[in-house]
Formats: sequence, C-alpha cells, structure tokens
Amino acid sequence: MKRYFAGVDIGSTMTKVVIFSDRIEATIIGPTGPEHRKLANKVMEEALNLAQIRFENLSYIIATGYGRINVPFADRQITEITCHAKGLHSLLPTVKTIVDIGGQDSKGIKIKDGKVVSFVMNDKCAAGTGRFIEIMADSIGVPLEDMGIISLTAEKAAPISSTCTVFAEHEIINKLASGETIPNLIAGIHESVATRVSAMVKKLTIEQDVAVTGGGAKNIGLVKALEKKLGCSIIVPPEPLITGALGASVLAKEIFEKYEREGQMPVRSSCGLQEAKIFS
Amino acid sequence: MAEEKKGRALATKAAASIPKFVRGNLAATIKAKEEGKKVAYAYIADGQDEIMRAMDIVPAWGESFAGVCAAKRDAEKYLQKAESDNFSRSLCTYATCTIGFDMIRSELGVDIVPDAPWGGMGRPDMILGSAQLLCDPRFKWPQATQHYLRDVPIFVGAMYYPPFDPKLNHHEQEKFYVKYCTEELRECVKFCEKHTGKKMDWDRLAEIVELSDKTWDLFIDTYELRKAIPTPMDTGDAMNTMVPLTFNLGTQEAYDFYKQLYDELQEKVKNKEGVVEPEKYRLIWAAGLPSWFALGDFQYFNSKGATFPVEVTYRGCEKIERLELPKTSDPLEHIAWRWVRYWTHWYDKARKRPGSLPKVERIIEYIEEYKCDGVVFHSAFSCRSWHAGIIHQAETLKKVYKEIPILILEGDIVDISSYNEADTHNRIDAFIEAVDAYKSRMG
Ligand code: SF4
Repeated sequence: MKRYFAGVDIGSTMTKVVIFSDRIEATIIGPTGPEHRKLANKVMEEALNLAQIRFENLSYIIATGYGRINVPFADRQITEITCHAKGLHSLLPTVKTIVDIGGQDSKGIKIKDGKVVSFVMNDKCAAGTGRFIEIMADSIGVPLEDMGIISLTAEKAAPISSTCTVFAEHEIINKLASGETIPNLIAGIHESVATRVSAMVKKLTIEQDVAVTGGGAKNIGLVKALEKKLGCSIIVPPEPLITGALGASVLAKEIFEKYEREGQMPVRSSCGLQEAKIFS
Repeated sequence: MAEEKKGRALATKAAASIPKFVRGNLAATIKAKEEGKKVAYAYIADGQDEIMRAMDIVPAWGESFAGVCAAKRDAEKYLQKAESDNFSRSLCTYATCTIGFDMIRSELGVDIVPDAPWGGMGRPDMILGSAQLLCDPRFKWPQATQHYLRDVPIFVGAMYYPPFDPKLNHHEQEKFYVKYCTEELRECVKFCEKHTGKKMDWDRLAEIVELSDKTWDLFIDTYELRKAIPTPMDTGDAMNTMVPLTFNLGTQEAYDFYKQLYDELQEKVKNKEGVVEPEKYRLIWAAGLPSWFALGDFQYFNSKGATFPVEVTYRGCEKIERLELPKTSDPLEHIAWRWVRYWTHWYDKARKRPGSLPKVERIIEYIEEYKCDGVVFHSAFSCRSWHAGIIHQAETLKKVYKEIPILILEGDIVDISSYNEADTHNRIDAFIEAVDAYKSRMG
C-alpha cells in the first residue's frame, strides 16, 4: 500500500504544502496575508485534492517555517533550516551551500549529505530580505514580479547607500526625481540586497554548488547580482518556494520509517484538519 | 513601567544566593559613607581589586549595576538619558547605562539616585579606571562619567599584555609588559593613598593577594567538576556564580562561596544529578557577554536537552600552578605576572597548531575536556572590542579544528531593543537540530 506524507511550511508571506510518497504527489503554494495564515488547513485540503487522497491517508505530517508551532494537525515541528537543507538535497544533491531569501528574513545554510552543518540568519533587519525589494517596488510603482527582468536592461546599477529600508525608500524617491532610470534603480536595489545577503552568507565559508531558494530566487536580477557578489554561479531549483515544505515531507517519511524499523509507532497529533488558533 | 521577567530556575543553591551578594555589594557603596569608607567606581578585570580591598575602598562596579538594570528590564531610562546628551546607542551599553544614571544623579544634585534598581550605586569618591582590554570605552567611560561628577578624581591605568604573533616568542616580551603593569599598579596605589589619606599596608595586600590566588585555584577546581556527565551546573548558573570572582576577589566571602559551590557540585556529581534529564547535548559558551535581560534563554536550551558544562566568559582565572609564575616578594608584581600569564599561557599551544589563535586554542581545549558537541557565541553589538573577533574565532575554529556546529546569537548586554525572543528561540531550535545531526554523523 502506498504511504503518503505531508510537509507544511508556514512562511511569513506564503503557506506551502507538499504531499510526498516516494515522489512529489502534490505541491500547493497558498495565499499570503495575515488573514490567510491561519488557514493552513485550507491549503492542505487543496493539496489533498490535487493528490486525490484524504487527510486520513497521511501517515505523518511535519510543519516548518516561522508559524510551525501553530499547525494543530501537524505531528511534529522542525525548523525551516533543517527542512530547507533536506528538501534541496533531495532535488539537487550536489548543493553544499543554500542561500534562502524569504519575505521577512534571509539565511545561509551549509549542508553535508542533506544535513545542516552550519547556518546564519538575518532576521533582524528588512534590508537583505524580500521585504526590502517589495517596499522599493511599491515606491517606484513597478510590480514585484517585473523587478527582475526590468533590472536586466540597466546600463549601470544606481548605488543605494542607505541600508535602512525607510531611508533607502527616501533615497530612491530622490534619485527618481533627479532623473535616474528605473532599470538602473532596480539594479541598484538588487545590488544592495545582494551585498547584505552575501556578507552574511560569506560567514559560512561558501562551498559550491550554491543554490538559492525562497521568493528571492524568482527574481532573476537579484540572482545575477548575488552571483556577482559571491563570485560563483548559482543554481535555482525548479520551484524555489517549496523546498522547505518538500524537506518537511521527506523528513516526515524518514522519521515515520525509522519508527517502523524500530517496531514503534510515532505519536500523532490528535487534531483533525482544523485551522490554526493563533493568527487572529 | 519597567517590565520585570519572572524568575529563572537555577540548578544550584549557590547560584540562587548570588542576588544577595550583588545587592550586598551595591548596599555597601551606599553604607560606605556612614562607615567612613571611600567608594570607587571600578571596572571588571582591572587588576586593582586587591589594592582596593587592602585600602578599605568599596568598589562600585559599573558592569554589575548595568547588568542588574538589564536583568530587571529597567535600563531604558538610563540609556535614553545618555542618548539625550548625544551618547550613541551603538556605544557600550554598560557605559551608557551608568553614564545615564550619573547624569540623573548630577541633575538632581543628590548622592543617592531615587528609583534605581536595587538602590543603585553610591556616589563615588574616586574613579579607578583600567583600560587593559584595549577597549575604547575602558578609557572613555571613566572620563565621560567624570564629566557629570566634576569633583571626583580619576585614575585610568592600563594593564597590557603581549599580543599574539605566531612568529614571535612572547616569553621575551612578557617581562617588559609585567614591568609596565607593575608600574601602573604602583601609580594606582599612590592615587588611592592620596585620596584616602591612608598608607598602603603592604603585608595586608600580600595576604589578600594570597587569598585571591587560593580563590582562583578553588574556582577552577570547582568548575572542573562540571566535566562530569551529566554536568551538575551550566552556564546559566555560571553567569551568577561568577559574581564573587569578578566583583569580590580578595575577600573571604568569595573564597567561602566557591567552597560552598564545590561541596554542592561534588554532591551532585556523586548522585549523578544533572542540569537536564536526559542530557542530550553538551555545548560550550565560547565567547560573548550574555543578554542580561534574557538569561531565561539558557533554560530554553535546557528544555531541548542541552546544557553548557563550560564557558569562556567570566572564567577570568586559571590554576596558579598552570601559569608558572616567577617568584617575587612584591605583591603588585605578582598581580602583574598573574594577569599577563593568564592571557599568554595559551600562546605556546596556539603556536603549535598552524593558523590557530590563543582564544581558539582555549575553546578547543574546553571542547575536548568537557566533551562538547556544539559551540555557541553571543555577539553583543554594543561591545565592539570583545565581540568583533567572534566571527573570526568561529571561522578559525572550523578551519584548524573541525566542522563542529556553531551558533552565533546576536543581541546586546543591556539594550533590550536588539532582542527578539521568538527569533532567538528559532535559531536555537535550528542549532539543536544541527547538533543532533552532527552527533548522529559522528556516531
Ligand atoms: S565595550 Fe565591552 S569590553 Fe569595553 S567596557 Fe563595554 S562591555 Fe566591557
């Protein structure tokens, strides 16, 4: 009989679910926004529908991401650092360094055989995270998803010297007023984020292959800027948003099977597919 | 209103008695006037403890008071006060906390500052600075303090030690540094004599120095009991039990405290009583002053089955015999040798491992002796001098030793605005998972 496992990644801006057996059965990226965060159960329902299985068919569920402790139906919580490492290793086993640029934080993770060797995080400051790009996109009036492609047409990145997001926004508006082109400005924004992220990740002593995940990986301009700063090419996985949830689902399978080998049954959550209680 | 955190459980009875010690030290600075004693503002690891004790000068420790303010989450009013006079938030927050405190004292024109945590520090009769740590605040903090206490005389000595250079034989240079330090201490004695109107009793000083040596030895014997598995005491407690060594050196109470702690730990070791049950991970606190307002994070580690049997922070002593100190009848020269050798006695070892550093060698020694599975540093942003090298130490450790899991926590000693509990706990969770993976990889 085929067994199914699930990984739920509640990030700061997206909820991701992966259903896994011995391959990926379904992946869903849920909506963002505070009112949606508690609806991890809805995202899970969608994933179950896509995989054409019922909740009861899931043998083990792991929650990850910053909201992981608030997923009532998860059997266990594991941090996004461990889950990213596992998920990425299952997709790209040659990768030794992961750069994750999320909505509210960024991280660098060194891995060996799919396990975390060391990590660094920036969770203190919006500069160096996706949020910085989002705010700048807003102030120059360019849709977030177009930022990457537009920056590739820049003649010369306009340097943004402020590291504080609030001051940087001000600086950009001033530059815009004094005639700087939008592509140059966007390239400058990417360079600013890449500088901060690379300074953080370099603390790890980077080993290749290097991969980038998280929302930042979807921005081609940022990836190029990061390649320049790190001095090496960077691999972008096919769906860079789901590596955490994928890792959680793979770990769910590994943990369940370990219990089984030892003749035990893992402790399961007694909660059904209900919404998270906290994010009210 | 200040938010006070609920009490933290401590593993040892001795650690639980420390708040009384700290309160006692603060109260002594206030009572000193009635007892006809002089009060000196003093700064930790100054080499001047024994001089003060021998001359009945009551030390008022800035770092201790700032730590109390932080632990009680009541430092903000002093930090803001200092900021209002253009002391940047990025300066040492021990310094800015006490400077803010003295600004209030000076503005109100009072000796005792009202509403100060645990009564605050009494008004000093002198300021005894010591700038040996190559830290700019150690020079500037006493000077800036004097700005608000105009009539208080100030002495800032400097106790330097030879820098580490793998190509240089520091043994050649040591004696010059010792000579320099001894002269600095002699000047300090002269300064104290002038401002107390008393002559130094050299026999008494020699006795006090001897008592300090005994305390150093007993401290290390006591802390080495923590090598036991499970460890009977972790760093969460050590951030308290460091008080007598750091702030009461040269007193019988300090010695007696470690005797009591020694007996308690011995009993715990005999009964195999650990800090956590089961003890899954053993960690080293490799560098960094703690966030005094978040000491509960040690318990968060404990809740994951992790303990710290050893730390570098506040282990400011060594077994005297390991330092191989030259014989001298001059107590000041003895203090100087003890100080210089405390730093240099890791140099030979570091020189033998290419690329290593004395601080890294010390960490390696502790990892091996205390059987640690992971390394935690705390980078306190406002203490540049001590914390700037942390990343370099972490990288060197990996390069010259092994790929042991390392966590660098970020925060501050006093300024709570730098701290986010949820993010800190998230990092700790991820680190514990990495340590677990490391342990399973290592078998
Ligand atoms: S900067 Fe650091 S070493 Fe210097 S006085 Fe402050 S806490 Fe002490």
